[in-house]
Amino acid sequence: MTVLFLASAEFWADQFVNGLTTGSIYALIALGYTMVYGVLQLINFAHGEVFMVGAFAGYGVLVAFGGEDITGAMIALSILVAFIAAASASLGTALLIERIAYRPLRNAPRLAPLISAIGVSVFLSHLVDDGFLSGQSKFYPTIFPTGDVSLGPLAISYLQIFLIGSSLAMMSVLYWTVQRTKIGRSIRAVSESRDNAALMGIDVNRAIMVTFALGAIMAGFAGVLYGLFYSSIRGSMGFIPGVKAFTAAVLGGIGSIQGAVLGGFFLGLTETVGRELLNEIPGVNLPNQWKDVVAFSLLVIVLIFRPTGIFRQKETKRA
Amino acid sequence: MVQGKRSKFALLLALVALVALFAVACSGDDDDSGGSAGFTDAGYKTAGLDKARLITVDGDVPIGISSALTGDAAGLGKPIADSAETAGDGLTIKGHKIKWVREDDLCTPEGGPAAADRLVKGNVVAVVGPICSGGTRASLKIFDDAGITHISPSATAGDLSTPTRAEGPFVTFFRVPVLNADEAREQAKFATDTLKAKKAFVVFDTDDYGKDLSTQFQKYFKENGGTIVGTPAGYEKKTTDFKSIISSIKEAKPDVIYQAGFYAEATPFLQQLRGDADLKSIPYIGGDGIKNDELITGAKDAAEGAYLALPGTTGSQFETYKTKYASLFKGNADTATFGPEAYDAATALIKAIDKVAVDKGGKLEIDLKKVNEEIKNANFEGASGKITFGSDGNRAGAVVRFFKIQGGKYVQLEAGKK
Repeated sequence: MTVLFLASAEFWADQFVNGLTTGSIYALIALGYTMVYGVLQLINFAHGEVFMVGAFAGYGVLVAFGGEDITGAMIALSILVAFIAAASASLGTALLIERIAYRPLRNAPRLAPLISAIGVSVFLSHLVDDGFLSGQSKFYPTIFPTGDVSLGPLAISYLQIFLIGSSLAMMSVLYWTVQRTKIGRSIRAVSESRDNAALMGIDVNRAIMVTFALGAIMAGFAGVLYGLFYSSIRGSMGFIPGVKAFTAAVLGGIGSIQGAVLGGFFLGLTETVGRELLNEIPGVNLPNQWKDVVAFSLLVIVLIFRPTGIFRQKETKRA
Repeated sequence: MVQGKRSKFALLLALVALVALFAVACSGDDDDSGGSAGFTDAGYKTAGLDKARLITVDGDVPIGISSALTGDAAGLGKPIADSAETAGDGLTIKGHKIKWVREDDLCTPEGGPAAADRLVKGNVVAVVGPICSGGTRASLKIFDDAGITHISPSATAGDLSTPTRAEGPFVTFFRVPVLNADEAREQAKFATDTLKAKKAFVVFDTDDYGKDLSTQFQKYFKENGGTIVGTPAGYEKKTTDFKSIISSIKEAKPDVIYQAGFYAEATPFLQQLRGDADLKSIPYIGGDGIKNDELITGAKDAAEGAYLALPGTTGSQFETYKTKYASLFKGNADTATFGPEAYDAATALIKAIDKVAVDKGGKLEIDLKKVNEEIKNANFEGASGKITFGSDGNRAGAVVRFFKIQGGKYVQLEAGKK
């Protein structure tokens, strides 16, 4: 490594883990975008705010448990309750948005629900920022045990292991639900053809609601992980991760679950490792503020060669 | 720190306000109840004051205030205008009362010249303001053409005193705030002399303020013999993920970390920085945008040991200003950003006008060129410290104080101590 690269092995290992961490969050949020798009061909722009609501619900629970004053098993319990509360709050928010802003527009031209999605997104982020917090951030209590596990040049903290591991576990559960359960089959059927699914006796509204619910649970879960890891939360926190996760979903092939996960990790790694790799080329020096330029340039390049994303083979057949 | 905030909404607001004020200005031309003021050409040819005028005042002496009274920046502008008026409390100029003329500059490049134009047409003797860099930049020539001396309490952009024109700086322009360059120079000195640092890693907010302050810091740090290690890392407002930057810091192995930005981003940055075992105790220097109580509330233990620079100081007149400001405007001097500077700007003008005004049978004759020259000689203890001006109109002998966070509090450091 040291022969080939100017930077040290520790540095690369570090940035790789950073990429995986960011990627996990992107992937969890991207699942919500991709599933909703799969069944409704709707880009749910308010999904970033569903993530935000989850982060605040988790924060409320951790503070109610006593913030930084708790120890031992109480930490594990408080985080577990925070996850449950966040998933419930996000789920409630997503179903409410679906009922108020999307369902009345289900048969309207496709741009109408897109605009109402943007409206809901702006409304929620400003409601929290300006309505409740008057522009201030809130900070998660730092309760997770600190410490590193070393594997050669790789030093990975307990929190990062937990974050990446639990994200992968949640993604597996989701994949299993969609592929192996009855409700999962109905979601896939609606995604192939809403009208045919209805003719086969599938409750389309129910399948759509479950889709929103599953995506929201992932987002709420990601919200708590985000808070635990980055600590700072605010009303507008969902915007950038939301845009990045949407990008990840497109990159992987929108509508595809494996694609969203892969796209999330791909984008996370491109932002960190990708930029640093380019910096190894003599004469190239891209500072941190260029990370989005690098990531999005790559997105354009990938889409030129694979316009439907990495995993999506063909457009869904429309009835 | 004060830069013109421009959003479509502010622009719209500015347009609406301009139209409204235009209507008011047109209708109120003859409404000069405080006395009459007329002027004659004094006829001298001096750079910047070649159209200087003698103003004859019958009645109250009109002094202008150009500040943001409506719009996004009104929260900054109103305390500034009130603080300036506070300086005139109980004072007269050779027996004549002071008449404050407030104009709304909206803190924008559009509002600044509009307000300047109205003040010039209103025959004011001198002006406090404009308050923002953008508005000031667009008003410099208007005041200069009229020969009216103005002192900004809060415009901090470096180029205001080095305009790109053949005639050089505008001699009618003075300002009280400590500039980014002064803050950065003192921070670099603190890093190299007090902390004995040789290698600095720079992190900055990519807005005008963060870019300017961090660039100036790098310049002075290198001049002092230091090296900037790694690539200075920029971040956008609302960033919370600093992990990638922190990996770069570890790789660059600096002996001091410098941040130019605001506390909202400094809080997660410090938390993530101090969460890394290798970077737990490396010295950290921040600036005025970061020194805020919210930093300590948010970052808690991670904020401990951080060094923060704060331009400006508290002068012997601060208590007087505080008491009067509270009784006249129910204001809180401790939270009025640039309030002490506005008080001092107004004081400097009143002192200068009082000195040069000549009583001519009950009327006052005021030579604007003499007012301008008298400001250059200003030397007094104000609410924001000692007030003197350099030949470029910037405040001379700017003071920058350093604080260290210890036990959850900002503790002021003695000069040269860490």
